[in-house]
Amino acid sequence: MEAYTEKIREISERLLKDGTVEAVIGYRKGSVENSNEPCIVRSSEKINDLVWDSNCRINLANYLTNRKDKVAIIAKGCDSRNINTQIIENKIKRDQLFIIGVPCSGMTKKEDSSDLQENCKVCHHKNPVVYDELVAAEVEETKVDRYEDVKKIEAMGVEEKWEFFKDLLEPCTRCYACKNACPLCYCPTCFVDESKPQWVGKGMDPIDVRTYHFLRAYHCAGRCTDCGACESACPQGINMRHFTKKLEKECFDQFAWEAGLNSEERPPLDTFKLDDPQTFIK
Amino acid sequence: MKVIKIDKAKWASGVSSLQGTYKIIGPAVDGDAHNFKELAKGEEPDFNFLNTKLSPKSIVFPQSEKMLEYSVDENKEDHHIMKEVKKDYSPRAVVGIRPCDAKAINLVKMNFDTDDYKDPYWLKLYEATTFVGLACDKPCDSCFCTSTGCGPYNEEGLDILLKEDGASYVAKALTEKGETLLGAAGFSDAGDEAAFEAGKKDAEAKITSSVQTDKLKDFSTLDLYNADFWEDLSFACLNCGTCTFACPTCWCFDIQDEVKGKDGVRVRNWDSCMFPLFTMHTTGHNPRGTKEHRVRQRFMHKLKYFVDKYEKGIMCVGCGRCVNQCPVNIDIRKVCDVMNNHVPEPVK
Amino acid sequence: MKELMEHMGIEPGRLQFSWISSAESTKFVDVVKDVTEKVKALGPNKNFVKEAS
Repeated sequence: MEAYTEKIREISERLLKDGTVEAVIGYRKGSVENSNEPCIVRSSEKINDLVWDSNCRINLANYLTNRKDKVAIIAKGCDSRNINTQIIENKIKRDQLFIIGVPCSGMTKKEDSSDLQENCKVCHHKNPVVYDELVAAEVEETKVDRYEDVKKIEAMGVEEKWEFFKDLLEPCTRCYACKNACPLCYCPTCFVDESKPQWVGKGMDPIDVRTYHFLRAYHCAGRCTDCGACESACPQGINMRHFTKKLEKECFDQFAWEAGLNSEERPPLDTFKLDDPQTFIK
Repeated sequence: MKVIKIDKAKWASGVSSLQGTYKIIGPAVDGDAHNFKELAKGEEPDFNFLNTKLSPKSIVFPQSEKMLEYSVDENKEDHHIMKEVKKDYSPRAVVGIRPCDAKAINLVKMNFDTDDYKDPYWLKLYEATTFVGLACDKPCDSCFCTSTGCGPYNEEGLDILLKEDGASYVAKALTEKGETLLGAAGFSDAGDEAAFEAGKKDAEAKITSSVQTDKLKDFSTLDLYNADFWEDLSFACLNCGTCTFACPTCWCFDIQDEVKGKDGVRVRNWDSCMFPLFTMHTTGHNPRGTKEHRVRQRFMHKLKYFVDKYEKGIMCVGCGRCVNQCPVNIDIRKVCDVMNNHVPEPVK
Repeated sequence: MKELMEHMGIEPGRLQFSWISSAESTKFVDVVKDVTEKVKALGPNKNFVKEAS
């Protein structure tokens, strides 16, 4: 990890000095255990703020939306897929970016630095899928069953499923850290904030809480890269990936789709093909 | 001021004997942390915690609280009349609240209980509650209460201060409410006040983290408002409400009507200055349109506007919840120090 | 849509989709009959109903 940090600083300094970019988006050392803070570095005096370790959980693609300047960004596999998604969705242009790719062996949990995040344990794209320069040699990709947890829920009965999600969301305070940490959630006005009409109640009623979570998940269908930013941001430790992962699995099963692997192909829910599966329509 | 000694063997039965008169709210295991909840008959408050994940502010200021109810059904006699929702304001006791959280409730009181305006919902819950504090002998790494005008043995806002002392608890009754509760529990053995002095010194020495606040009041508001550090401090912010919801001193709320058929209720919900909607005007204009504006507002309110308005120090008790829970590690200790040590550009 | 709703505990059959042209009146009648039959069999919806406040 030390070598990663060194290399990141070296590349960043060069890019700032030769004017390739106006700023570098990365992480600086955090003030509490197992935490780093996303930061923007604009001058070479601050280069040594930049660090890399297994606490770089937040997806930096989140900080690109609608930027007008030319920036360098440090990207793990998942971040790079979300950068592609932002490019497809016209939130940033490729030529505004210098992507410093980081082959990633997974981020650890904030509460237990010896344990990988759940999404990292089942990651199939540890290496950036798009980059201008890599900080180290690519790491080996692993192949595991990505959907074991989804299948467990699929096997439950109707009531059991309902109760499972009821318990899952019970601690939610609706602080919206999940949607705000998500690099896909950039709508100018989120549906939870709409007032004409008001789609969902704003209190702590469990139905309103659930409506928020499942609707948010739908908005991520075919776009989610399972970067885990939502889960890692949640102060209440809720695994809301149980919603998004089901949709990710459906997109994979029905359309052989994985989000953000390139910057040309539009996601399946955004396109129509004659051979789209349509068994759900009578 | 009465000091009572309570044998730990008699503690549980004493607390449980209160349950006819009081609702007992105490810390209990909730998932991977502790939170305050109403305890069932015979259930003991679990004191094996550093601090609760969520602050106990919701005991007097629920996250979602019904205020009024109404019906527009003309077949009903009292249609089109707003009526206060009947609620339970019977006596309750919070057993095991930390001194920082108790002080926070006092700070919030400055907002809800003023000469001009008294918030009936907050005050009724507040008045029904007896606050039994638990002195903090094991502060967390991120606690900085000693530099916020608080401390692990701070008594502000408490009716009783409780301290663990070997095989017993020592309780200091600080108000009449406190004495009544101790009496009702049947605790009457005289205790020694000296335990508090020694404990306080030890506990305060364990708090290693601090903030500097001495210069905040001397700045002109605009010098801080226009300072150049806000972009750097706010860059990481996601604009979630984690800090404000976790904070024991954040008091902002939003009022909503929820209608079903012809019946409706008026509810107030916690709101957060971190949300763009918080300041959105009906015209569509948002005076705090960027996260930099919103982050600045949160810290300026806590560390400057409040300081100037009330002259009671900063609006932070140093509990460290926002520091630990912020998903992007924005740290109020750092922000406070940056503000306090700011050197304004000389006037040209 | 259907997949996640059912994943979350909505009974299979309660949520149904169809595509019917305005000219397909017989299909419309058939689908409506089929949907009502299936939903009646499931009974009133209990999940996703907000208690009157």
